[in-house]
Amino acid sequence: MRRILLAVLASALLLAGPAQAADAPPGASSCTGCHATTKIAGSVIPRIAGRKAADIMTFMREYRSGTWPSSVMGRIAKGFDGQQTDAIAAWFAAQPE
Amino acid sequence: MSTRRHFLKLTAAAGLAPAIASAQGAGRVVVIGGGYGGATATRTLKALEPKLDVTLVEPSPVYTSCPFSNSVLANLREISQQEFRYDGLKRAGVTVAATSATAVDAATKTVTLADGNRLSYDRLVMSPGIDFNWGALLGYDEAAAQKMPHAWKAGAQTMLLRSQLQAMEDGGLVVMSAPANPFRCPPGPYERASLIAYWLKIWKPKSKLLLLDAKDAFSKQRLFQNAWAELYPGLIEWVPLSKGGKVISVDPATLTFTTEFASHKAAVGNVIPPQRAGAIAGQAGVADRTGWCPVEPVAFESTLRPSIHVLGDAAIMGGMPKSAFAANAQAKVCAAAIVALLAGRKPQDPILINTCYSLVAADYGISIAGVYRPAKGQLTEIPGAGGVSPLEAVGGLRGQEALYAASWFRTITAETFG
Ligand SMILES: Cc1cc2nc3c(=O)[nH]c(=O)nc-3n(C[C@H](O)[C@H](O)[C@H](O)COP(=O)(O)OP(=O)(O)OC[C@H]3O[C@@H](n4cnc5c(N)ncnc54)[C@H](O)[C@@H]3O)c2cc1C
Ligand code: HEC
Repeated sequence: MRRILLAVLASALLLAGPAQAADAPPGASSCTGCHATTKIAGSVIPRIAGRKAADIMTFMREYRSGTWPSSVMGRIAKGFDGQQTDAIAAWFAAQPE
Repeated sequence: MSTRRHFLKLTAAAGLAPAIASAQGAGRVVVIGGGYGGATATRTLKALEPKLDVTLVEPSPVYTSCPFSNSVLANLREISQQEFRYDGLKRAGVTVAATSATAVDAATKTVTLADGNRLSYDRLVMSPGIDFNWGALLGYDEAAAQKMPHAWKAGAQTMLLRSQLQAMEDGGLVVMSAPANPFRCPPGPYERASLIAYWLKIWKPKSKLLLLDAKDAFSKQRLFQNAWAELYPGLIEWVPLSKGGKVISVDPATLTFTTEFASHKAAVGNVIPPQRAGAIAGQAGVADRTGWCPVEPVAFESTLRPSIHVLGDAAIMGGMPKSAFAANAQAKVCAAAIVALLAGRKPQDPILINTCYSLVAADYGISIAGVYRPAKGQLTEIPGAGGVSPLEAVGGLRGQEALYAASWFRTITAETFG
């Protein structure tokens, strides 16, 4: 019974495919306009898909406080509180690198 | 039975509810317009819910991007680099109807196509972009646009303006006119003036550019004006509304722009006309008296017609400007909301980002950013976030932003068209 349930769940997971924007927390789908989840040839914007959530959090905190210099991320990071950033960082961390 | 209920509970907890619900009854979504909003919506819908039946209605087999088309005017890019096809959408399982939508019936939920076919939908997404208010500017109609191009829809118009600039004698006056708000791409006219000046300075150094404006203020104004003074001293003259900048009429036969105070005869004239939502929005009943489409701020569903979502330039998006970045961001939010609605779930409250990069020269970029969320029935900018590039640039910042602008373009077009 339990085994059947797990098998059904696993096939449901397959159907659902990789981590998707449906499950994406608020804001994450706007980040991908610059930080694609796929590899973009010739882009010099750093890739963040598949990075450790804690590292993304650290960057975002330092962008927000201005400790870490940036061209645009400081202005963007200030629009998100800690909890929202946490959720976005976890989502990017779950994407394939 | 109890197993099944248990299973549903578990999958819902695992965040898998949409896939399960749709396995029982997928939905039909029709998308009108294959630009930044519409194309992104189709691909996101298919990625989130492969079982959805998604049809794009778009008459042109090739989409020509406005973003970076000002670089084509300055000979920094070729028009072919602006062109995108719909093969990536087809690969993602989207059905492409290569024709235009001629009528939408919200009551029967059907779209009539120019080829005579009819599509029915559970949810309709409209991202038809803009149309021009021909005649709002006396003397400016479709025929006049062949003499004084707008180049505000990219393609043949972009190439016409570029060839006129190239054929102009050194010393000729370029005149541009910019409309009142709201219009597509608020920093666009000023990026264009900058890049034409960049090109004039190299190839027609005796020429000047006059920019007649129906406004007293514009996006990234101080950054643009500082850069003009630094890079193109005396080359660009901007005439605001309060100094008589508003163009009342144009004469395409003599390339003359007439304001309340003066007439200016151009060697090359570029008219950026007043705009409204793409005509099909009016036909569908989703545009209001302003010519634009009011929507609620979570799923961007029309407040005038149920089950029709409007995206991008056509929609009234509160504080969000009409940009490709915004249309793409809105499309992703809208697609996720539609998947939720079709599965009987409530869409989550979104947060959206907009960023508009502008080039002032080939290696000189500036940007404006904002973060938005629903408040009091519309998308509202979150205070304390966003803003423009610093007025004082340190350590090659302008060059860096020009590179980031090009990277953004590669990223957004890959995400939109596949
Ligand atoms: C010179 C210039 C520079 C710009 N630069 C930038 C920039 O750097 N960054 C940025 O973010 N934005 C920029 N923009 C703005 C950007 O082009 C628009 O905001 C964006 O294209 C809006 O997307 P959309 O989906 O609303 O409309 P569009 O991209 O215009 O797409 C609309 C589509 O709908 C189709 N359509 C219309 N009616 C019908 C119908 N009845 N049936 C079927 N299909 C239909 C059209 O054929 C078209 O393909 C610029 C604009 C200009 C003019
Ligand atoms: C307009 C484009 C743009 C958007 C939108 C954007 N970023 Fe960035 N991001 C950049 C650029 C450019 C950099 C490099 C730092 C800089 O100059 O701002 C960067 C850097 C980063 C970094 C540091 C990566 C590293 O290895 O240095 C992180 C983390 C990051 N962004 C997260 C995010 C998140 C999360 C979002 C959405 C909330 C987001 N970004 C939205 C352009 C963008």
